[in-house]
Amino acid sequence: MHELSMVESLIEELLKLQKEHGWERICAIRLRIGAMRQVIPEIMHFAFDITVQGTALEGAKLVLETVPLKKKCRTCKNMWTDGDEALFLCEKCGSSDVELVEGMELEIESLEVE
Amino acid sequence: MPRKINIKRSVLAADEEFASKIRERLRKEGTLMVNLIGSPGAGKTTLLEATLGEIPFSCAVVEGDVATSRDAERISKTRTPVVQINTQGGCHLEAHLLWKALDEIPTSGLDVLFVENVGNLVCPAEFDLGEDYKVAVCSVPEGPDKPLKYPHLFHEAGAVLLTKVDLIPYIDFDGDLFWGDVKKLNPLASCIEVASLTGKGIDAWTDVLGRWLMEKRR
Repeated sequence: MHELSMVESLIEELLKLQKEHGWERICAIRLRIGAMRQVIPEIMHFAFDITVQGTALEGAKLVLETVPLKKKCRTCKNMWTDGDEALFLCEKCGSSDVELVEGMELEIESLEVE
Repeated sequence: MPRKINIKRSVLAADEEFASKIRERLRKEGTLMVNLIGSPGAGKTTLLEATLGEIPFSCAVVEGDVATSRDAERISKTRTPVVQINTQGGCHLEAHLLWKALDEIPTSGLDVLFVENVGNLVCPAEFDLGEDYKVAVCSVPEGPDKPLKYPHLFHEAGAVLLTKVDLIPYIDFDGDLFWGDVKKLNPLASCIEVASLTGKGIDAWTDVLGRWLMEKRR
């Protein structure tokens, strides 16, 4: 249930942004979430819907965009996308010196506000 | 009519500011910070007790638990400065809590700050505390399948410690599977087998801490 921890931080951040900018209402929130974060969309939506109740965000729509894992080999510079959270071996040269370039995002991409 | 606004800001931005403040403070002091993450009962506190008895550096500990100060009481018996944080139900430590706790710890001249996170393999991996290294602590009785089930932690950890290896004769534990999966997720992590109660592996662990400290101060 780490989705609830994320939602709590998200709501805190959104209420802060709303106050700073003087928006009347936040209608929609678009999040980019890396696949390595292992977020289950249904649980994220559920946690969001119950946590916003009674706040200025009640009724806001949450849109989730999953960012696939993108890996880069530091040895041969090969870059590729795959769905395997557990394998950090270069598919071209076999090197284990592989970094995760994308897939750890946890970002508010954009908002729709009034 | 709603209008679209681009934000491109981390969901955890507010807490990440505290993590940056902690990182900057400990960089100036030359203090190594290690964030110990593992399940409840993995043996994190017992590992710390064994480590503090052997380590040749000045250390302090921040204990994170949902409730009680039992862990801090155990650590204080080793005469190490310790602060207990109770999260009152929260399943992980956050950087703003640690920042406040650091008021009670003189970090000037301190070599190593250990943070024992709340027992949990998921959320503590998500929240940056400003540490130099996360360390995954997993015990033999938990079974060998944990790395693949919790890839985020094991991918990010600077070291993976398998604890309670003195129980291997009594438990069906596939060590090749465990370490094979760790290597797939994180080929560069230091991999250490320990038995805190017998002292096995504690020297290898303190060697890693010594290397990290030297690299930080270089």
